[in-house]
Amino acid sequence: MNCDWQEKIGMYVDGELEPAAEQAFAGHLQGCAGCSAAVLEQQELKKSVRLAGKRFTAPPDLYASVRKQAHQPESVKPWWKWSVVAAAFVLFAVFSIVWFSRSSASGQVDALIDQHVTTTASLNPVDVISEDRHTVKPWFQGKLPFTFNLPELAKDSPFKLLGGKVVYTQHAPGAELLYQVRQHKISVFIFQSRDVHGGPSAGNKTFVVNDWHQGGLQFYVVTDAAREDADRLRALLEEANRS
Amino acid sequence: MAATVITRGYVSGLENKDFEKLAVPLLDGLYNFACWLSGDADEARDLVQETFVKSLKGFSSFREGTNFRVWMFRILRNTFLTSRTGLERRNTQQEDESGFEETVVSQETPEITLIRRADTELVQAAIAQLTPLFQEVLLLADIEEMKYQEISEALDIPMGTVMSRLARARRQVRDYIVATSGRKKIVGIRS
Repeated sequence: MNCDWQEKIGMYVDGELEPAAEQAFAGHLQGCAGCSAAVLEQQELKKSVRLAGKRFTAPPDLYASVRKQAHQPESVKPWWKWSVVAAAFVLFAVFSIVWFSRSSASGQVDALIDQHVTTTASLNPVDVISEDRHTVKPWFQGKLPFTFNLPELAKDSPFKLLGGKVVYTQHAPGAELLYQVRQHKISVFIFQSRDVHGGPSAGNKTFVVNDWHQGGLQFYVVTDAAREDADRLRALLEEANRS
Repeated sequence: MAATVITRGYVSGLENKDFEKLAVPLLDGLYNFACWLSGDADEARDLVQETFVKSLKGFSSFREGTNFRVWMFRILRNTFLTSRTGLERRNTQQEDESGFEETVVSQETPEITLIRRADTELVQAAIAQLTPLFQEVLLLADIEEMKYQEISEALDIPMGTVMSRLARARRQVRDYIVATSGRKKIVGIRS
């Protein structure tokens, strides 16, 4: 069939034509058997896909789970919002002063946990997207005043490199590398040791933080995955940076 | 306090407490979409839960006037793309989109009869054999009944690409049904 209207068939079936064009196309169908058959076929196909495609229904416990997630404390009244924001800003400023003055060990780790959460919540979690360590590592050249090695992951390794980006803490630049293990994300932060002062977290029981000092660099592994996963990734990083 | 208004997914007068009211009705659709994309019930569950966590975190910055349903599907789809299965499917099943010329049937109707008589399992198998690029656009168009513009936003692709992928997806489903006609092929999902 060679009809000038045939390219409109899909739009007609999907109700995407403007009213005038739709009316004109409907008129055309009265005299074009080819287009009529094609439209009928597309409509039957669309109906079949709609019926067959609704195949999976969320199980009741998933409903319960997301409802539980969705139950947030009642939001503040609108007229409170700006004052709350202002208060939060002041608190943040005060906190920052205290934080910088003390260079608190736990503050450093908590900041990295916050950074990890921010990264995982972002639709664009990394600036260099690659599973190839030979792509990710060179990307940091010229952006950081130090270098590091990334482990070569075996094909059957549970870890997958997703990419990386530059982050700052305590006015010092560092690398954040994002790995995945199963459905969990792992952030690896690397800074120069002289730039940061970090230690055990102040008590966050939700995230695993594994940190160590090696070759003038300070490493932090932050994740909500199992501690064993953090330990295994640490071992791979330690090995890669041993030479 | 202004009431929340939802018009074809677009939200105004938003309050954080409205998240559950807006998001939970989308659960079945999101789960169905996740099952088709991942092919695994457990992974689909994880994808949906992660989607809800991310969307809840980002809800405070959700811009009024944005299409909430499209936003949720977009988060789910991006979450899938960064998952292990998503990366594998994306890396191994890209398909050349060039050189496609939509063809339409002539007056004969045996194909129409076959499509009309095709049972659910055959159509499901036809959908399952599509590559992710075509599968996702077909699911959003025909099951979620999204407009081309909405699909374009959810998948972050131009409208023209939506239309060409949709046409190709339907063509492949149609050809599969016609070719297989009568031979039932059941594609299962691990659960």
